[in-house]
Amino acid sequence: MTFVKIDKKQWAQGLATLQKSYRLFGPSKEKDYYNYKALDVGEQPDFGFSNTRLSPKAILFPQSETIIEFSLDENAADHHIMKSIETDSSPRAILGIRPCDAKAVRLVNLNFDTPEYQDPYWVKALDATTFVGLACDDPKSTCFCTSTGCGPYNEEGLDLLLIEEDAQYLAKVLTDKGRAFAEAAGWNTATDGEADIDARKATAEAKITASVSMENLKNQDLMDLHGASFWEDIAFACINCGTCTFTCPTCWCFDLQDEVHGKTGKRMKNWDSCMFPLFTLHTTGHNPRGTKTQRLRQRFMHKLKYFVDKYDTGIMCVGCGRCVSQCPVNIDIRRVCDLMNNYKTDEAACTVQD
Amino acid sequence: MEHMGIEPDRIHYSWISSAESTKFVEVVKEVTEKVKALGPNQHFAKHEAKVA
Amino acid sequence: MSEYNDKIREISQRLLKECQVDMVIGFRKGSMPMMNEPCFIKNAKDAAQLVWDSNCGINLANYLTNRTEKIGIIAKGCDSRNIVTHIIENKISREQLVIIGVPCQGMIDKHKTTSMFAGDIQDVTEDGGKIKITVNGQVNELDKADVLQKNCAVCTHRNPVIYDEMVADPVEEQNVDRYEDVRQIEAMNPEEKWNYFEELLSPCIRCYACKNACPLCYCPTCFVDESKPQWVGKGQDPTDVRTFHFLRAFHCGGRCTDCGACERACPVGINMRVFTKKLEKDSFEQFGWEAGLTLDERPPLDTYRPDDPDEFIK
Repeated sequence: MTFVKIDKKQWAQGLATLQKSYRLFGPSKEKDYYNYKALDVGEQPDFGFSNTRLSPKAILFPQSETIIEFSLDENAADHHIMKSIETDSSPRAILGIRPCDAKAVRLVNLNFDTPEYQDPYWVKALDATTFVGLACDDPKSTCFCTSTGCGPYNEEGLDLLLIEEDAQYLAKVLTDKGRAFAEAAGWNTATDGEADIDARKATAEAKITASVSMENLKNQDLMDLHGASFWEDIAFACINCGTCTFTCPTCWCFDLQDEVHGKTGKRMKNWDSCMFPLFTLHTTGHNPRGTKTQRLRQRFMHKLKYFVDKYDTGIMCVGCGRCVSQCPVNIDIRRVCDLMNNYKTDEAACTVQD
Repeated sequence: MEHMGIEPDRIHYSWISSAESTKFVEVVKEVTEKVKALGPNQHFAKHEAKVA
Repeated sequence: MSEYNDKIREISQRLLKECQVDMVIGFRKGSMPMMNEPCFIKNAKDAAQLVWDSNCGINLANYLTNRTEKIGIIAKGCDSRNIVTHIIENKISREQLVIIGVPCQGMIDKHKTTSMFAGDIQDVTEDGGKIKITVNGQVNELDKADVLQKNCAVCTHRNPVIYDEMVADPVEEQNVDRYEDVRQIEAMNPEEKWNYFEELLSPCIRCYACKNACPLCYCPTCFVDESKPQWVGKGQDPTDVRTFHFLRAFHCGGRCTDCGACERACPVGINMRVFTKKLEKDSFEQFGWEAGLTLDERPPLDTYRPDDPDEFIK
């Protein structure tokens, strides 16, 4: 059973059955854009979207998450002890995640689940989640996934891949998790779809015209790129807001904050952004990235050079185009990637002035 | 503050000289009564952080 | 608009060639429809990159803060008012600037236009009062008046208030009711007001694009980044989100020119101008003050006048 046919008439019924054993998340229209949300009982995901405004990373890595609690009240049991919070690790599924966002989860996982260290909150959430992808037949002009090692029908990181047809969904079962999900829904009409998919995949890929070049990034000298002359020009427009990092499906930086109310307190994990002045600010008051040019350079060097060198799996970008379309001042990662890829030191007239 | 939805009776400005003890007492009384009538403030009062 | 482009390039080239300025701050063509990128030009030969159209909504005064060079800056009406405010607040000196004034007929509302079409917008061009929008290969023609940014539709200072060069003759100023939206909120009862703002701010992700796009927000350390004391929590609690927006707006009291940069920059389409506009309206109604119109008068919140309104003191 590699392919399953889901008649659209069986769709709602299947989801209703699934909601008995899974928490379902899916795209939903909010005002004039789409975002992922937890679906209420009986609520259908709305697949009429090209991509969502924010990425679904918040389902696994919430913008604010309480991880530890403590009490300073000496009458309370376990006072002055930091206690880990039990997060909800019951099975959940993200319906209609785009292949780019699913690949992004794999990239973030490289950071949160390493042989030496595992982020328990991330690992638990990831284990609990089934990724039900939705192939992308109508990519946007800002999409460039095909040049980042991804693509509109990319299967990496997915448990099931749905392909929408007129009266049915064709579901490609990719993992045991995906199989269990389809079975739980009662979707078990096996079919043959490989040839069908190949043609549709080729059509979808052909629609993606934007691209980045990354073949030289690995061999570029790190310090040459760091001191490249183009940073000042790119950074000029930057207002150092967190739009790019907060909408990015691969940005994983977070900050810890303690909030105390009376004698009890919580430790929270909040998204951080390399664009912000507090990012890497030392307690001495010194910040190695004190200017906006340095902060912007950190963002692009991390995604397009440090990551490439460290993991050797390509760039830390899946080409979803969110930062491109939402940056208020039109800083375009495609242009920056090409500048970095094609950079030659003899062009360097000066280095970034701190 | 009022524009944001804080009840107008919670906000009060007065100019009271140190010699106007009677006015001070009256104003405190009046404000206290109005705020008591409104009950505890629910706005801009964070009892525990809500997380997304 | 092409005559604007020619004139802007000609003036910029001349200023750079004659070394009257070290750089010209303007816009270059963006990589996306309805987006131009703020940029600086240092060589006369690069002045041809400068463009002007109805997608130059970013307020360029934001890029002047604490700069030390001699600068030529392209300024539409609101930019020029924020340049005045910057000069009054000692963030730049008048002598450093050559202001290239651009009479403005309003900027296109990127959020609104995007939401009008189901498909992906491939191209946007303009011709006088008409905007041509290409979606999935189909060209749609709209009146520019229907896709103006909300603040531009109620703008009464489209012409630069301060300039050294002008790229065209002044345009006619609009005679419009600027505060209808504020009055609608004022008419609500406290609970309705509270709920209105709660709903307004619910999509906020605290990326701070609004404050960072604002030329008024230049504090070396913003209150949201302070830790001793910490004025506001850093998570997504609605009280903290609202405190941020509320205090940000207050810091703009008597200074805001309603340039719309904050709303334009917001990735989730929040109209946070409803906060600043209330303060702008109060400044106008109580002090007869509109920010950034003159270098010769101090703003109402840093001066005392015996006739300042005091009805709120009971």
